[in-house]
Amino acid sequence: MADEKQKAGSAEDSGGAAGKVTRRSFLSHLGAAGVAATASPLLAAAPAAAAMPEASEAASDAKIVGSVPVSLRVNGKVLKLQVDPRATLLDTLRESAGLTGTKKGCDHGQCGACTVHVNGRRVNSCLSFAVMHEGDEITTIEGIGQPGNLHPMQAAFVEHDGYQCGYCTSGQIMSAVALLKEPCGPTDADVKELMSGNICRCGAYPNIVAAVQQVRLRS
Amino acid sequence: MASIEEVVPASIIGTSLARVDGPLKVSGGAMYSSDHNFPGMLYAVPVCSTIAKGTITSLDSSAAEAMPGVQAVYHRKNIGQLFRAAPPVGFSGLIDERRPPFEDDVIRYYGQYVAVVVAQTFEQAMAASAAVKVSYAGEKPDVSTTLSSDEKPKVDTTRGDADGAFASAAVKVDETYVTPVETHNPIELHASVAVWDGKGFTLYETSQAVGNHREVMAQMLGVPLENVRVISRFLGSGFGGKLWPWPHCLLAAAASRNLNRPVKLVVSRKMMFQNVGHRPLTQQRIRLGATADGMLTSLQHDSLNHTSILDDYGEGCGEATGYLYSTANLRVTSGLVRRNVGNPTAMRGPGAVPGLYALESAMDELAIKLKMDPVELRLKNEPKLDESLGIPFSSRHLKECLTVGAEKFGWSQRKAGVGAMQRDGLTLGWGVGVCSWIAARIGCEATVELKADGTARVACGTQDIGTGTYTILAQIVAEKAGIPIEKVEVVLGDTKLPAGPISGGSWVTSSVIPAVADATQKAMQTVLMAAVQGKDARFAGKKPEDLVFSGGRVQVKGGSAETSVAYAEVLRAANLGGVSGTGKSEGTFGVPPKVSQHSFGAQFVEVTWQPATARLRVNRVVTVIDAGRVLNTRAGRNQIEGAVMMGVGMAMLEHTTYDQRNGAPINSNLADYVVATHADTPQIDVTFLDYPDLSLNEYGARGIGEIGLAGIAAAITGAVYHATGVRVRELPVRIEDLLGGTARA
Ligand code: FES
Ligand code: FES
Repeated sequence: MADEKQKAGSAEDSGGAAGKVTRRSFLSHLGAAGVAATASPLLAAAPAAAAMPEASEAASDAKIVGSVPVSLRVNGKVLKLQVDPRATLLDTLRESAGLTGTKKGCDHGQCGACTVHVNGRRVNSCLSFAVMHEGDEITTIEGIGQPGNLHPMQAAFVEHDGYQCGYCTSGQIMSAVALLKEPCGPTDADVKELMSGNICRCGAYPNIVAAVQQVRLRS
Repeated sequence: MASIEEVVPASIIGTSLARVDGPLKVSGGAMYSSDHNFPGMLYAVPVCSTIAKGTITSLDSSAAEAMPGVQAVYHRKNIGQLFRAAPPVGFSGLIDERRPPFEDDVIRYYGQYVAVVVAQTFEQAMAASAAVKVSYAGEKPDVSTTLSSDEKPKVDTTRGDADGAFASAAVKVDETYVTPVETHNPIELHASVAVWDGKGFTLYETSQAVGNHREVMAQMLGVPLENVRVISRFLGSGFGGKLWPWPHCLLAAAASRNLNRPVKLVVSRKMMFQNVGHRPLTQQRIRLGATADGMLTSLQHDSLNHTSILDDYGEGCGEATGYLYSTANLRVTSGLVRRNVGNPTAMRGPGAVPGLYALESAMDELAIKLKMDPVELRLKNEPKLDESLGIPFSSRHLKECLTVGAEKFGWSQRKAGVGAMQRDGLTLGWGVGVCSWIAARIGCEATVELKADGTARVACGTQDIGTGTYTILAQIVAEKAGIPIEKVEVVLGDTKLPAGPISGGSWVTSSVIPAVADATQKAMQTVLMAAVQGKDARFAGKKPEDLVFSGGRVQVKGGSAETSVAYAEVLRAANLGGVSGTGKSEGTFGVPPKVSQHSFGAQFVEVTWQPATARLRVNRVVTVIDAGRVLNTRAGRNQIEGAVMMGVGMAMLEHTTYDQRNGAPINSNLADYVVATHADTPQIDVTFLDYPDLSLNEYGARGIGEIGLAGIAAAITGAVYHATGVRVRELPVRIEDLLGGTARA
């Protein structure tokens, strides 16, 4: 039963990648120039998901007392995990699903390092429990694009040096990609306001804003 | 035969390059310490003391031990032997909190680790850590922010008769400036993943100095050095807070050894305020004496900083005071004051950053007393040589920083006088501050391999903490060997690699250049030997000295380029997988300097002030930096902009507040300890003068990680004074400071 569900999920997802709606609306938002560039992350989502370790042996091997099953649809793939009911979505991604691209900077919803997309919208994954996301479409930085097949936003961050240490970067990019679909005014000040939930202690803010604006301008 | 077009442009030094590690960082593929997971790994969560002074009277872990998933609860009685580290020698054996965790039952600061819970999951360990019952005999802690010296302050540098010259000076400034406790708060939490293999440790650490980390851990764990390997491939920055090991590293390693399982310990954001260092509170009295036309006749800088109960951490606020200006009479002193706080440690630009806030603020106050332009005052007191050491500067262009900055900023439009400048209903305030930072080299080794597939690999046991070190190493090899930068693989952050410099002091770039260049040259030389040896060699019958390696190719000296052969082909012909060279360079410390090596800069700031709503913003910053040659201008500019952002935080937002009753840092989270965000970003204009300082290395690079944070706070408070008439001598600037100002009317 559970297996069937997983298969069904995978089959469905292989055509759509994580957040079907997300990407379709994103593509239409980008226009012709962006489409060529955006096509790659769509394709990249699958290999990226395939390259992920299966639920890390570490956490799922031995029986965890009081754990509950949860199946998450992450980057277009169904992950069936046994998790502590107190486990946040963030810790589940990092410690159980082996998706360590999403970072923990505070665990309190104060820094934005843990930003992921849930059903196409950005959320702080440290602020919700994994068990609340049964069936939700979750996209992490790994599902946005991979080297050789970067999303235009990722490529813009590289081009504009929109990072230093790189620790806030996954969260910045997840916020920036979500921002493309949000009602955001045209100016740098508008972008700064909407990106202010993502702290960059290295202070790469001018470059991050330049990267975001480049992608918005080309869309 | 490969075509000649493969040859890359002569130099990629000093250009604007995207980082070689960029694609990994933007896709979640860069592996930071806490990203390492292992089969059977356990999670450790420390238990922190809830008093700041006193002793533990009892510790009951029975309830915690009985909770689901808990494997062990360690405390003083059962963690096993941990040792102190031996006194440091040079840049090895360094640790700020020298007492190993759980050494005794005495509590000396709030949050001190008293136990550690190890469980199957993080959630279980968190829950159980709250169930460890600890009783204390508490005493009233001392976390007072008013400092007076316990001991006689030490004289750091002195010349002439500072007291006498001050007493007789025509114009005087005598003020005290305070900088609060600042917490580094890199976004990456400190973390240790310890893997014990029955004999030794592999430690994935958030470390700015893997070599030192290894030595300290080996000593404190009591295992041979060769049985410890420390890895820090990517660091979510540290700003000095991750230079040396902290007690949590020992907890993770000891737990791993005791349980024979990998253990992950991630320090919480709250613990980041307690257990892993901070920039100490400083209190600095500056006395300036000058002639009526603005020549400095006396300069005294007496600073105090708090430190912990057990360990001495001197901030060194007078770092730049001795050489910055010309004056015949000068004295710099410093002293420590003990408080019930965790140990302070170096934070970006230690000493110079708080020190130049004080000194440059006093210079601004002097300019006002003299009714002189503050830029003019600084130009007037420019020294001809480093008067503290009596030696020339290797390369000092501070005057040009000031004049270029003034030009770019539009300083000539400045109207002196509080509130004299208005725009769009806002009051403008303009301020200026000078910055400086020491330049140096530390010993470095590196290995470069040129491979038969046409790629190269450079390995060095230094770290990239976000400054762009991966890219710098790739640039040096690409430049020396004449190959495209994409062909260079860079491996860092591992004690198995040749020993590299600590990522501190802005010294990495200047230190790695000679070693990596040397290693590349040696590998190239070996290629030439391979080119002539053996009957299949491409240049059989020639001698290596007949050949030249250039643009990734080997050819006969003076011969035509068409006869050149790619080095990869030379190696393949000789059936070599690759050849390597090891390079080494010495540090500059411990050798009496012949020249004074420092970087300089000028910071110009515009604030806007809206008296009706008491809204103060940093609006515009122009920074001109003289830091030798900048190897990668894209990453270089980013460093300065980032430092300016941290400076905005330092001047306007950041301060850790200790509860006077129980000694707890009470704003120990990122909502209450406010750092600059996107919305706080001013317009920032960065200029590098780019004069190579060849006294340090062949490219003339000095390093730029820290200098951008110096001077900025004074420029901001100077601008605040210009706008509001309020001189803020205790950071950060608080709105309530400004409400009583003259500009309020
Ligand atoms: S870790 Fe979630 S917001 Fe900081
Ligand atoms: S790049 Fe270091 S925190 Fe943003």
